[in-house]
Amino acid sequence: MNQGLRQRLGNLGGLALALAVWTVYAVYFSPAQGWTFFFQLSVNGIILGSVYALIALGYSMVYGILKLLNFAHGDVYMIGSFIGFGVLTLLGGPLNPAIPVALLVFCMFVVAMLGSGLLGLAIERFAYRPLRDAPRIAPLISALGVAFFLENSALLLFGSQFRSYDGFELISYNGIHLGGDNGVFIQYLGVIVIVGAVLLMLALLGLVRWTRLGKAMRAVSFDREAAGMMGIDPDRVIAATFFIGSALAGAAGVMFGLLFSQIYHLMGFLAGLKGFTAAVVGGIGSIPGAMLGGLLVGLIESWARGYLNGNVSDLVVFGVLIGVMLVRPSGLLGTPALQKV
Amino acid sequence: MRKFVVAAALAAGVAVLATAAFGSTNSSSRTTSAASPATATVKCGKTRTIGMAAPYTGPAADIGNQQVRWAKYYVKRWNAQKANKNKQIKIVPGDTQLGVDTAFAVRVAKSFASNSKLLGVVGPAGSQEVVASTSAYKGGGLGFVSGSASRTSLTDGHTDGNRRGYFYRVVPNDAAQGPVVANWMTKKLKWKRVYIIDDQEAYSQGLATGVGKILSSRGVKVTHDSISQSDSDFSSKIAKIPSNTQGIYIPWQLAPQAQAFGQQLKAAGKSKIKLFGSDGLFAPGVWKIAGSYDSAFPYNPNDAGVKKYVSTHKGNGEFFGLPSYVAAQVVVGAVTKACANGTATRAEVRKLIAKTKLKTSILGFPVSFASTGEMHAPATYGVYQIQSNGSFKRIG
Repeated sequence: MNQGLRQRLGNLGGLALALAVWTVYAVYFSPAQGWTFFFQLSVNGIILGSVYALIALGYSMVYGILKLLNFAHGDVYMIGSFIGFGVLTLLGGPLNPAIPVALLVFCMFVVAMLGSGLLGLAIERFAYRPLRDAPRIAPLISALGVAFFLENSALLLFGSQFRSYDGFELISYNGIHLGGDNGVFIQYLGVIVIVGAVLLMLALLGLVRWTRLGKAMRAVSFDREAAGMMGIDPDRVIAATFFIGSALAGAAGVMFGLLFSQIYHLMGFLAGLKGFTAAVVGGIGSIPGAMLGGLLVGLIESWARGYLNGNVSDLVVFGVLIGVMLVRPSGLLGTPALQKV
Repeated sequence: MRKFVVAAALAAGVAVLATAAFGSTNSSSRTTSAASPATATVKCGKTRTIGMAAPYTGPAADIGNQQVRWAKYYVKRWNAQKANKNKQIKIVPGDTQLGVDTAFAVRVAKSFASNSKLLGVVGPAGSQEVVASTSAYKGGGLGFVSGSASRTSLTDGHTDGNRRGYFYRVVPNDAAQGPVVANWMTKKLKWKRVYIIDDQEAYSQGLATGVGKILSSRGVKVTHDSISQSDSDFSSKIAKIPSNTQGIYIPWQLAPQAQAFGQQLKAAGKSKIKLFGSDGLFAPGVWKIAGSYDSAFPYNPNDAGVKKYVSTHKGNGEFFGLPSYVAAQVVVGAVTKACANGTATRAEVRKLIAKTKLKTSILGFPVSFASTGEMHAPATYGVYQIQSNGSFKRIG
């Protein structure tokens, strides 16, 4: 067993222990709310975390391959949610859908993912590729510029009014009761989001592990120059990575709209930061790490909102980010950078 | 020696720059004061200009545009009168984007202040916007009359700064709204367990605290929590709300947020718990959770102007914006009087706003101002209930 793997397993063990201690505390030593409350918050957290995980994957993939923090990624997610909303509106809206609801939702996801993916391609082609060999600060600044460009473009195109998906009206207010009527309740919409996110993540894992493109992505991530010498076209692989990461962000945007109804031009900023936090906590560059980080951020946010009065969830989430960085600078499933001496 | 020379050169350079900067500041301030729009005399001409500070876009655009339409409705009626042929009014719009950032309201105030033709302002809408933009309005010497900023401390002269002589409002303050809400909850609805959630803005926290205190003093079990205006996921907050809670008080400003909250409450299987909003959520068609309650400004439904507005808007009275009609009436009245001799200053307009005496108004009562900027003896708030078609029906 190599040292990196041992360290990752150790991190996972530590995380499992911390979660177990917290669960026992929340269930047995928090009598005011009890176990149902804890598990309800956990379910809510997993649903929210699924969205964050999809956003985090884009950050992680791009960082893994380019060592670039793509701060425009949160705004790609925002554009994705608007594309989904556009499809919903074009096809009759939530109250009078012109086609069967399942087909409508499918169309929303497909078009939003395609649109966001193409946007990701365009961003890579025009904002990052020309700066490929520039100092690392240059693409970072370019990423910030793209983020503002997208936010203000959305403001011009869609206005700054909130748009409402009315996801519950479209799909259903009903759901599944676990543990009786007073037990944990999961809306069908929540189930769709979790299942959708898991399927997308598994598809991504499969793509990276078992396809030629995935192999090429891993090769470019490991050493771009060497991969180029082996006949891989790094530009195409990087473009494909942007497309896939952005498409996942588009799917996350639609999921968010369906779940929480409100979308607006500035929604990408905080969600992007949370996705970035998830990617860093999980170990930026690691796909399973991004998924784990997303779920963890969602859970922590949900627990903080439930157990703490006021609105301090962001304080807790970003506090955890700082804590993880201090204890495990490479994240829970990240590989520590080797220092050549 | 070289170090000494470099240091001396640097010191000399700094001194020259400082002198130049000081000189230029003085000269520019002299220029500014000589031509300052705050004190300048404006030739009124046939068209006089007033500002309209409201959220034209942004999350509160719905209620903002109601205000704009009502203010424009007044100006349109004014301009249509033959007697006012040579006293036309022009509105300059200023988008404050309430709910995004108060910096927008400050920018609007600054642009109004620097517009030398502008004599008075209707708005802004939010109490936090009033707090943020007061210094810009005061700096420009502009009087501003809000049709919705109801935070009580805006007019006390110290808590949120002193804006007396500049700021006026044509709505009752939250000190009047809180008791109406608490009375309705305890006396009409007989609620014993109430959950209060503020949105962390000054307006919301003031109302939440005020209502909470009254409810507690009457033996109601009150739980207080917060969300922020950028929140979309309320599932964890909703999970926390006990199922036997009778009502949730949400004195928020963003109707789409209240709508999303109501939908998530229903999705969590807690639709039996009633929502009670405040004037900031008086947005028929946007907040449409049937059965919810809302407190909002008074108005006279029998006034011919109100009836005409309602009929031309297909029955949707957009009553949140109605006080802005009166605010426009106050500002236009003051500007017109100040312009009686062909010229006016902003100081004159402010003085005349303070002296406003409307014997009747579409609010249903006379309007005149105390030195604080509050109306003398305004009528109190009404209580509305959201109907299944999304309309708001007055029930008290």
